[in-house]
Amino acid sequence: MMIRFILVLLFGIFFSAEVFSQRVIYGTVKDINDNPLPGATVSVKELTSVGTVSDVDGRYELELPDNKTYTLKISFVGYYDVIKKTSNVDDAELNFRLEENSTMLEQVVVTGTRTPKLLKDVPIVTRVISEIDIKNVDAVNIGDLLQSELPGIEFTYSMNQQLSLNMSGFGGNSVLFLVDGERLAGETLDNVDYNRLNMDNVERIEIVKGAVSSLYGSNAIGGVVNIISKDSKEPWSVNVNGRYGSHNEQRYGGSVGFNQGRFNSMTNVQYTSIDAIDLSEGTDNEDVGDYSLIYGNSTLNIKERLVFTAIDDLKFTARAGYFFRERNSSESIKERYRSYSSGLKGNYSITDNDDMELSYSFDQYDKSDYLVPNDRDVRDYSNVQHTLRTLYNYSIADKHIITVGGDYMRDYLMSYQFEDNGSHVQHTADAFAQFDWNPHKRFNVITGLRFDYYSVSKLKHLSPKIGLMYKLNNFSLRGSYAGGFRAPTLKEMYMDFFMGNIFMIYGNPDLKAETSHNFSLSGEYMKGRHSFTVTGFYNLVDDRITTVWNMALAGQVYTNMSRLQVTGVEANATGRYPFGLSWRLSYAYTYEHIKKGEPLLSSTRPHAATARLAYDKTWKNYALSVALSGRYLSRLTTDVYTEMTSYEETVEQTYPGYTIWKLSVTQQLLNGIAISLAIDNIFNYRPDYYYSNSPTTTGTTFLMGLSMDVEQLCRKKQENNNI
Amino acid sequence: MSGIFERMGMFMFGVTVMLSLCACNGIFENIYDEPSQEEKNEFGFIIVDDATRTGTIYIDATDYTEWHYIDLHDKQVTTTSVYDSTPDNWDFAIHRYDAKTNNGAVLESTAVDFNSLPDMASLPQESFVADEWTTDRITVDMSQMMDGIIIYAEDYYNPCLSRWLDVDTSTMPPIYTLSNKVYVLRFSDGTYAALRLSNFMNDAAVKGFMTVDYLYPVEL
Repeated sequence: MMIRFILVLLFGIFFSAEVFSQRVIYGTVKDINDNPLPGATVSVKELTSVGTVSDVDGRYELELPDNKTYTLKISFVGYYDVIKKTSNVDDAELNFRLEENSTMLEQVVVTGTRTPKLLKDVPIVTRVISEIDIKNVDAVNIGDLLQSELPGIEFTYSMNQQLSLNMSGFGGNSVLFLVDGERLAGETLDNVDYNRLNMDNVERIEIVKGAVSSLYGSNAIGGVVNIISKDSKEPWSVNVNGRYGSHNEQRYGGSVGFNQGRFNSMTNVQYTSIDAIDLSEGTDNEDVGDYSLIYGNSTLNIKERLVFTAIDDLKFTARAGYFFRERNSSESIKERYRSYSSGLKGNYSITDNDDMELSYSFDQYDKSDYLVPNDRDVRDYSNVQHTLRTLYNYSIADKHIITVGGDYMRDYLMSYQFEDNGSHVQHTADAFAQFDWNPHKRFNVITGLRFDYYSVSKLKHLSPKIGLMYKLNNFSLRGSYAGGFRAPTLKEMYMDFFMGNIFMIYGNPDLKAETSHNFSLSGEYMKGRHSFTVTGFYNLVDDRITTVWNMALAGQVYTNMSRLQVTGVEANATGRYPFGLSWRLSYAYTYEHIKKGEPLLSSTRPHAATARLAYDKTWKNYALSVALSGRYLSRLTTDVYTEMTSYEETVEQTYPGYTIWKLSVTQQLLNGIAISLAIDNIFNYRPDYYYSNSPTTTGTTFLMGLSMDVEQLCRKKQENNNI
Repeated sequence: MSGIFERMGMFMFGVTVMLSLCACNGIFENIYDEPSQEEKNEFGFIIVDDATRTGTIYIDATDYTEWHYIDLHDKQVTTTSVYDSTPDNWDFAIHRYDAKTNNGAVLESTAVDFNSLPDMASLPQESFVADEWTTDRITVDMSQMMDGIIIYAEDYYNPCLSRWLDVDTSTMPPIYTLSNKVYVLRFSDGTYAALRLSNFMNDAAVKGFMTVDYLYPVEL
């Protein structure tokens, strides 16, 4: 104590000028029920380098360089920000009470405009799945998560049990999946490998439905799903987690993060495996469905993300990833899927009014077969994409934003579906501009235009967009028109494949791009703890690319279809109450109109709904969260062609509807240990016959998991020692 | 402490930059095996060991319209169209994954290699299965399969020997499972052969390339 006093005194003598001018602000951050909010961010508007986080009791302490008036901002996920100014008098205590944000409207989103904007101010309807939602759903992969959060999303099996997406009438190649704004290389039967998108280290997922080609180019016809990674917030963090469930489903993962000086790093490792599922289990039915066995598989996913803040205005993000999946489709052949990705991005805030981003990204996706009797791992597919991007934002009068950008991509594809396992290369380049005009606080207009060029098909395409938003008190109205397109892929242009030694599938270099006109109108009403949103949309899709039988060639050929229409309505209602209860109800109606005689007929279920009822409560050393979530998919009656080679005769086919409910309970002890239990398919639904769009459940399943945040436990121990 | 983190950070940063500067057409090519070309071109009795009377037969049975007739006595393979007559001398034949014998009969043993074969005299003669006439097994034209039309040739086949590879078509694509068992063939001249299908694919994963290990004659 004495030594400390002398030190303080010495400091006082030597650095008297600084000591006099410095001051300490302290206080607590609590919610409206007086519960402390640990981990709330305290930042100073005028001093970007000064900031802290509240401790486990919600206390914070902040050192300011002088006695001037500063603006303190307190932010905490799920709560409204609170801003207070420090007075220039000596009052050093500044307490904050945050009100829970039941609607997430204060959430910053980027996907709809490519600039950070508050969800409530985005003129393009954006749906956000937050980190808390991800935890509540207890989802391992993106498929589980999207299906339980959004109606109108269905993952089914296409040939060979490959996952296939249908999002409001649009398939996997018409919905663009991004990770931090970057595309994924590789596809199987028109879908990216969704297994690559694990939910580790995900901060939130933003979903924009409808055409967004004016910002993202090809594939963004039916929508964009953008997965946003999390930066490490703690000085250091270590997490280990494990999970075990029915069918010997196992998941083990861990992460190591640090946030020291100019570096912020997060490393994640996750391993999953599941045994094969025998769909005939417990039945005496030999013919259980289109398939009788769901193949077992295992995955390994390693991700590293490193942020380096060179100077306050200049930030670099480097990342690298490795993914491996092995599917046991038979004793003789194990199908292997690998990807390697890396990237480097620089963000530079040039002035207060403008900033720019420059990035390079590499992604490789390989497929190989491990032939057990031959002991050989033979690669037969490799897609390698190198992408350069630039983006520049300029804001005028703090209200209007001009965004311009451009990308270049080199796309290399080697495939067993090309002649002699050959390869093709395509270069694509684009430029885009967007003007976000805010003439009045209630009125916002956004316009954009993008030009894309594809070297092989010599395709040139313009994608426009216009969006309007009008806000009045608790009500906002959004309307938009956007053009979408999808360029023919190298696969679709050059395929030369003897399908299962049965018939040929030929590519078509003369394919036109798929294009769409998307109209959307949406109303949002928010009052207190409730929110309601209704969206109607209409899509005209021309030249959709598919395969048709060609009599002369006695095989299938990629061809553009004639016009089809997809229209629908979506409604969403939420409620969230201070005592911990929350609910959400979403419904989607989709109508897909495809003329008879076209090679494809509708496969979209007209009605779908999802629901969730959750209870979350946090005490000092204990937190409980219980969530009941369900999804309903209506039955689908559609026509199917009786012959593959002609599109004349059809038979009516009905796929039954179903409802599946899941109950999950998570208990958190000492802020660092989470124990979760889940019962999936609690009402034991089982399809009478497994169609490719039936859920692959064999009845109720159980899951249990354990997750430990080591740094939280250490901190706890430290605090106990201090007391 | 923060110095270590700075250095760690710098190192990881460097690794990522290095990774980014990789080849245009991808990285890690050498982790895969190349399909070996030389083996592909060699068919027939590719290994013959007179001392142990064993060997390996490799057959390109990818063509639906061909029978491959194997003469274990003279170590010969003769390929004919399914519509042509059989050659003069042969012991067993392969069409895709189907097999037939020249008036022989087959027994599935429990052995998975020739060393563990039981004594021939101990085998129950009544359990040997003779060939059967079939009209819906020997597929010759799959081109209209998607429309539910498959054209078959009428021929003999041996249901026991054909169990060497199970093709489960209840699920698409089918699941292929090798029985890995040794099959004992009893020929009309009273001699015995032992056969084991060790593979049905080539190194490029093309199905229909049959690798059959044989032991002939089996000592009585």
